[in-house]
Formats: sequence, C-alpha cells, structure tokens
Amino acid sequence: MTMLPDISASAPVPSTTAAKPDHRGSWIPSVAMISTRFMELRKRRGLMIALILVTIGIPTVFLAIRLLLHAFAPHTYGPAGGYAIYSALVSGVLYIFGFIVAATLGATAGSDDLGEGMFRHLVVTGRSRLALYVARIPAGLAIIVPLVAVGFTIVCAVCVFAAPTKLSFQGVDVPVGLSRAGLQSWAADHADEVICNFDIRIGPSTPSASAIPTVLNATPCGNGPGGRVFKQPPGVQGQPSPSQVQIREVAHLIASANYADYSRQFLYPSTSLMIKSGLWLELEAVIGFVVGLGLGSLIGQRTVAVVMMIVLEVVLTPILSRARIPHLSNLQRTVVGLATAHLSPGGLPVLGGGGGGPGGGGGNAGLLPESTTVAVCVIVAWLVGWTALGAWRMMTRDA
Amino acid sequence: MTTATLSAPSDKQAAENQWAVETHGLTKRFGENVAVNGVELLVPRGCAFGYLGPNGAGKTTLIRVLLGLTHADAGTMFLLGQQVPRHRDKALARVGAIVDEPRFHGHLTGRQNLQILAAARESEARDRIGPALERVGILHRADDKVAKYSMGMRQRLGVAACLLGDPQLLILDEPMNGLDPAGMQDMREMILSLVAEGRTVVLSSHLLDEVERTCDAVAIVDRGSVVRQGPISELLAGTSLVLEVECSDPDRARALVAATVIGAADGAEVTAAPTGLGVTLPAGTGRDVVAEVNRVLVDGGISVYRLQVVQASLESWFLQVTSRLGESQ
Repeated sequence: MTMLPDISASAPVPSTTAAKPDHRGSWIPSVAMISTRFMELRKRRGLMIALILVTIGIPTVFLAIRLLLHAFAPHTYGPAGGYAIYSALVSGVLYIFGFIVAATLGATAGSDDLGEGMFRHLVVTGRSRLALYVARIPAGLAIIVPLVAVGFTIVCAVCVFAAPTKLSFQGVDVPVGLSRAGLQSWAADHADEVICNFDIRIGPSTPSASAIPTVLNATPCGNGPGGRVFKQPPGVQGQPSPSQVQIREVAHLIASANYADYSRQFLYPSTSLMIKSGLWLELEAVIGFVVGLGLGSLIGQRTVAVVMMIVLEVVLTPILSRARIPHLSNLQRTVVGLATAHLSPGGLPVLGGGGGGPGGGGGNAGLLPESTTVAVCVIVAWLVGWTALGAWRMMTRDA
Repeated sequence: MTTATLSAPSDKQAAENQWAVETHGLTKRFGENVAVNGVELLVPRGCAFGYLGPNGAGKTTLIRVLLGLTHADAGTMFLLGQQVPRHRDKALARVGAIVDEPRFHGHLTGRQNLQILAAARESEARDRIGPALERVGILHRADDKVAKYSMGMRQRLGVAACLLGDPQLLILDEPMNGLDPAGMQDMREMILSLVAEGRTVVLSSHLLDEVERTCDAVAIVDRGSVVRQGPISELLAGTSLVLEVECSDPDRARALVAATVIGAADGAEVTAAPTGLGVTLPAGTGRDVVAEVNRVLVDGGISVYRLQVVQASLESWFLQVTSRLGESQ
C-alpha cells in the first residue's frame, strides 16, 4: 500500500528564484558552450601533441632534413622545396594525415563526455542535447583548421622559397614557362638532349615519322646509359646519316609530344594552386572531423571510431576509387574520399599517388569517373548524414 | 493532494505547486525486468526527502527517469510543477543532481569542469562557480586536475556542480559515498543548510541513519514500487514501542507482566533476558502503560533498576517493512 504523505506545512520556495529565459531548449549552442568545449579539447595534452606532430611536425621535419642535406651536399641532394615536393607533401601527407587527425579529434569530441561521465551532468542542466552536440563542431574545427593551415603554410613557404632555380624535365634542364612553340624551338637547339632523354610518343602516322628511326639510330646517345631507345623497325640498319634538319625536326616533334607534361611542370607551386590546395586540405579536414564526430557519438567509443576512419581513408578509399566493380560503380561513387579526390586541384596526385602529378595524366587520372556535381553532393551528404546520425544518437542515448 | 494539470502551467503556477517532485504511474522497463513499477511519489517543497530502498530496488533508475537521463515507458511526472519531459528545459533549469558516482573530465581542473557545466546553464551560473566551490570546501583545490581528486572530493565537486543552477530542487544519489566521517558531517550540515534556504533535497541513500538524521520525510521503494512514504515522525509513530526493563528475577518479572492485560494485548510480547525484560508494545500504546508495567513489577516484589522506552529507529522500521514485503511475496 502506498501511503500518501501529509506534509503540507512546508511553504513553496519563493518564485523569485525562477529561471530566466535562456533559450535552453534551443538547438543553437551559446558562445560559452563552444568556448568551454574548445577548452576541453585543447587541454587534452596527449591528443594535442599528436595532432601537432602529424599536421605540423611531419612536414616540418621532412623539409628541415631536406634543407640541411641540400645545404651540406647540394650536388647530391636537390633543393628542399619545389613543385614536386609540394605535391608529394600535400597529397601524400597533409591530405591523408590531415583527415586522420581530424577524424581522431572528431571521434574524441563525440565520445569523451560519455566515456568520462560528463554527459550526464550536461544533460541534467536541461540544455538541449542537440545544442550540446552542435557546440562540438565549431569547437573542434577551431582546433583542426588552424593546425592544418599552419602545417600547410610551412610546406608552401619552404616549397616556394627553397625551390630549384632550374626546371629538370625528364632529366634535362629546361627553361621554365615556355610556350609550345618556345619548347619546340628550344628542343631544336638541344636536339641531342631531347632525343636521348625525352619520352618518345610518336607513332607511324606522325609526319616525318620515317626519319625518326634514322635520327635515333644516328644520335650519339644511342642505347647508352640514360638514353631512351626507340625500337628500331627491321631493315633500318645501314641507312644513311640523317641531316641536321632531320635531327632538329625530330627533336621538334618529340618536344611537341611532351608539351602537355611539360606545361604541368613548375619550379614551385603557383599562388592559385596553393590557395586551392589549402582550401581542399581544409575541406578534407572538416569532413574528417565531422564524420569522426558523428561516428564517435554514434558508437560512443573513440578507439573503434578512429580505427574505422583509418581503414576507410587508407585502405577502402584507394581501393574503391580505382577498382572497377561491375554494377557497383554508383555505390563506389558514394565514397567520400573519391569525391574529395575529384575536387583536388589540378596536377596533384591523389589517393596514394600514381594518378597525376609530374608525368601523370592529371590529378584524377585512374579514378572512377565522377562529375563535380555528384562529388559535391556526396560530400554534403556525408557531412549532413553523419551529423544527423551523431546528433540523433546523442538525443536518444541513455545518459 | 494537488495534481498538476497536463497542460503547460505558467511559471507562476509551477512555482506555486506544492510538490517539488510528483509522479503518477511512472514505469520503466528493461526488457522483462520492471525497474520502476507504477511509482506514485510526492515530494513536498522545502524539505529533505529520503528515498530508501535495498540494492536493486530501482532508486537510481527512478532518478534517471526523473532527470531525463533515460525515458519512461509509462506514467507522468512533474519537477517543480513542470511536466517532464515536455518542459524539461524549464524544469531542469532549477534542478541540480548527482546520479551514481560523480565523474568529470580528469584532465581538467575542478573549476574548468564547472565552467563547462555553467556554460550549459544561464549566464549567471558562471558567477556561482567560486561560491559553490567554497561552499563544498574544495576552493583550495579548485585548480588541481580532477584526476588527482579523491572520491570524497569528487562527491563535493558533484554537489558544487548541483549548486551552479541556484537549484530549488537537488537530487543527490548516495552523496555520502566515499566521504570520511568529517566529510559526512559536512555533507549533512550542507544538506540541512540547503533545506533551511528553502530548497528541496531528495536524498537517495542506503545509509538509513544518515537519512534519519537529515531528512524530514522518506519514501521506501522495493522492487520498483514505492511501498511507504511520509514524514519520518508519522511513519515511526505507527511502529511498535519497545520497553527495556532492568530488574531482579527476570523470569518471575516476565510471568507477572505476561499475566496482565498488557502482556495479553494483541501485538504485545514479553521476553526475559539475563538482566531484565524486553516488552514490545503495540503501536499507539500510551505512556500510562509504561507506568502500569512499573507498578505491576513493584507490586510483585521485583526491584526495578532501570526502565526505558525505545522508539523504533528508521532502520528497524525499514527492515520491518521490507521483511514484511518479503514474507508476503
């Protein structure tokens, strides 16, 4: 039997202490919530050290070693900076590691309150759980975006100021910024170097093709070390020596065939490319953070979420972006890494390299084809979808 | 009994509602297990209210449901006159709570943890951090990392977190856990001072002695249901009275008392002990009966050295209630 109490003597607490309206039920977090969440993340010393080491430390150490090596043995070791180093660091280090550290930060932000028992205290404040979730997004981005920016700025600075003074294209020092006609003219004047070192992509249909075997056969580099060898068709032995006009003409043709690759060679990255690359890296970091946050909140564990994100970025994305799986190509296109790769600035190799860069066929060569619109939609869907999943779990989770 | 309406009350109506906590038919299930079973609970404002029950009785689950930490499967509930979860934000704005063991970010200081919690409350909460830390006695350790805090200090920090919202209602789940005797004394005094300020404190505890010394009213929960609730004094008034008598010749004394109307009364029991008698008298027995026992013994030639009326304690009453429940089931 339940006995109802008979304690009516106690007077109600005066209403003077009633709470002021503070939009506690709103999903929009207050500035104070964001700033304290930022503080909570920033005070994680181990995590911050790891983030700084990966985003700033790795490129800095790598470039510092190259600077020192070049300073002490300039003939053995090339300049520390330059376009090639830039593209390798941006697409090989900052792109992949930036995503992973952002995901780690996101997973931490998404699960630490739960794991450390603070979630319960926060829920008891009456604040909207959605606002508690949303507050983590600007707080986390305020950490990861500047970190990536600093690391990227260091890479840009070194690659620009320590760039080589001469362009080495396929082993030959070539003037920078020549037009097609200019390159052809330069090639004609340096016919031996061009014929011996440049890739020869000339077919039988090429005008003056018949003269090419003759020229190659007579050029001093021949089959010697470092020389490129044109497979001589049968019956070319014993042909007469080519004239200077023929040699210049063949060099001219070879230069023309290599112009597309040459035009993508720079001593250092252009300002436009650096701006685009920076924004692209930040986009990748934002995606990594938001997905990590959603996944961390969804499963309530940091470690598992981080491992899953690493597997996604390092294993699944490169495979799914290049493999041609029959009937599943549309599913493959929903991989966010493929979408961001398609948005990469031109000339940068992506997804583990091999797709573009110097000598390659452009940044997106080898990737599963995807339009820019689809890529943008996929990215937006990932951002919105994981935010919704993480927020939903936070709102429905028992505290 | 005042029952809050289901429609949203105005702030004034809510403030004037006499119950700090009001639940009707509140039920929470975990699969087949019914952790909270149709709980009808009324906690008056401005008192210290004990919420007692054996382990696994559903005390913490009820608190978690009240605070919106988990959802109820059935029933209605009101905190400070506001229906929850519908008006959860308004209700919890003036509620502070510790549920289970208080845990915080170990890599942050106590003050920084409170800053995070204050940021989720109204802007004035930030100004209350210092006073709250001072009130619970850890201001001198406020800038140490929580990882270095003892269990007792975390309990105090938990109470400080409760105070950030200038609460009208505090719900404390086992707040004495981990506290040394001095800490328990401090906590007891703090609870009493909070009540003296007009706040309501709901104290869930298995320390019956502490509850008896701190609370004005209690509810006993067993197997998910509230089985008794009311002011402690009234509840104990309904319990039997024990008379301890130190006398000569206990066996003859027992026979004398048992032969009287007192000894034959329904619910009475007379037992002999080496040094005297134990006389259990039914609830509601008047003081004149005590004098009658003394007279019977003296008239029978028994020397009475000491005669003491012992009121049943909350603990004995609790055990009595819960054991009866066990017998009936």
